[in-house]
Amino acid sequence: MTEEPTAGPDGLARVTLQSKSGVFEYACLPGETLLAAGLRQGITLPYECATGTCGTCRGRIMQGEAIMAWDKAPGAVKLNLEKGDRLLCQTVAKTDVVVRVPSAAVQGAFPKGIVPRHLTGVLRQSRRLTHDVVQFSVELDQPVDFDAGQFMTLEQPQVRGLRAYSMTSYARRTRRLDFLVKRLPGGGFSDWLFSSEIDGAELKLFGPLGRATFDPAEDRDIVCIGGGSGIAGMMAILDHACQESYFADHRGWLFFGVRTLADCFFLDRLSYLAQRAGDNLCITLALSHADPGTRTHPDHPALRLDTGFVHEAASRGMQGKFAGVIGFVAGPPPMVDGALRMLITEGKLPAADIRYDKFA
Amino acid sequence: MTWRRICAPDSIAERQLKKFEIDGIPVVVANYGGGFRAFPPLCPHMEEPLEQSGIIEGRTLTCTKHLWQWDLEAREITGSETEKSLFFYEVKQEDGALFAFIEQEHRYEFEDEDDMDDDAFFSQ
Repeated sequence: MTEEPTAGPDGLARVTLQSKSGVFEYACLPGETLLAAGLRQGITLPYECATGTCGTCRGRIMQGEAIMAWDKAPGAVKLNLEKGDRLLCQTVAKTDVVVRVPSAAVQGAFPKGIVPRHLTGVLRQSRRLTHDVVQFSVELDQPVDFDAGQFMTLEQPQVRGLRAYSMTSYARRTRRLDFLVKRLPGGGFSDWLFSSEIDGAELKLFGPLGRATFDPAEDRDIVCIGGGSGIAGMMAILDHACQESYFADHRGWLFFGVRTLADCFFLDRLSYLAQRAGDNLCITLALSHADPGTRTHPDHPALRLDTGFVHEAASRGMQGKFAGVIGFVAGPPPMVDGALRMLITEGKLPAADIRYDKFA
Repeated sequence: MTWRRICAPDSIAERQLKKFEIDGIPVVVANYGGGFRAFPPLCPHMEEPLEQSGIIEGRTLTCTKHLWQWDLEAREITGSETEKSLFFYEVKQEDGALFAFIEQEHRYEFEDEDDMDDDAFFSQ
């Protein structure tokens, strides 16, 4: 901990966190959630989505007062509110609080010492990639480190709530993060991204977050199966891998699921990655609602085409090649489910070798 | 009598999970190839219906929601992410039928109330 606050004049609420591996104390900045405050001070609180949907960060307020800002959060449905159960990612302490979490927590156990923190940034270079996908960059107030595959939560002052987006490129100590957003009808943040002049807008960020990460030191072949904007974190993984010349002596496969050729994006970047990596990286676009009639993309011959759901294309493309592979999966829930089943039953991958953000 | 008849063994294919209501008690029966296992339908993690979310590969049952896994042969947790045991009802085959020993419905404590209310534990 970097400060010694007390609840009272300075407005900082003090948290006593009781976990299955011991008691931790930390302080919250004004308006800061119990999850963010604990994570940034190096405590490995349980979480997956950090945005209210999954329910993983459940804690029980034993003493004191804490408000769950988004009480309709999907992840809050099964909470025992009367007992004081709250989602820590949505909850702000109003007084000093005592909180229990039903799992172990450890101080300072973040991989590579990359601890999430609060950042601010300015949105730059937004660009529509398709009718419902936009990419943009955020210029940060300070450089950050992250692992390929991680995400940040983003917050825009005029739009309530947090959204989680994966970084789409990789760099160490970077002041620029790249993101990709698929429009969700009725999604406040994505509506804002698609409706207004957004370049120059100020954003608040928190991160990096997420454990579905790529580490070249693992020295394994990788297969990435992504649907739609689920491709985002995989772009960072391939970016990092190519920077390390990883595909000189490892094999890699990317299966990118979209409906039709018109829904594809990042084709220039994917082509570049495929050419740079050489024969050991195989990139396939799986079209679920169109038959391209050809095995390679007409304008991007380095990219293969297949028809059907992306996990089916991955199954076809990976026959006999699953041994020792690490699998990365991201996309809409039915796609993720199909890919997980395929990797377990056909690929025989152990659960520990399958990485995905458990947002549902 | 708490041995309750479930079904004919050949009505559950290998690697299949099938849900039954036996005297009002929901139970899932799994045929993992090496035999049959019977357990409550909800995943002890976050209440996923295992007859849908579960898949059997080898002797391992995986809930595909968060990849919690159990070894059906040994009736033990397998996989580093899995935090809770699956509760198994005893099964037997007799007179060409599959029976499960179900005295009463087993329900997991999803609220973790025992854990969360254990003041002595958390004050350590």
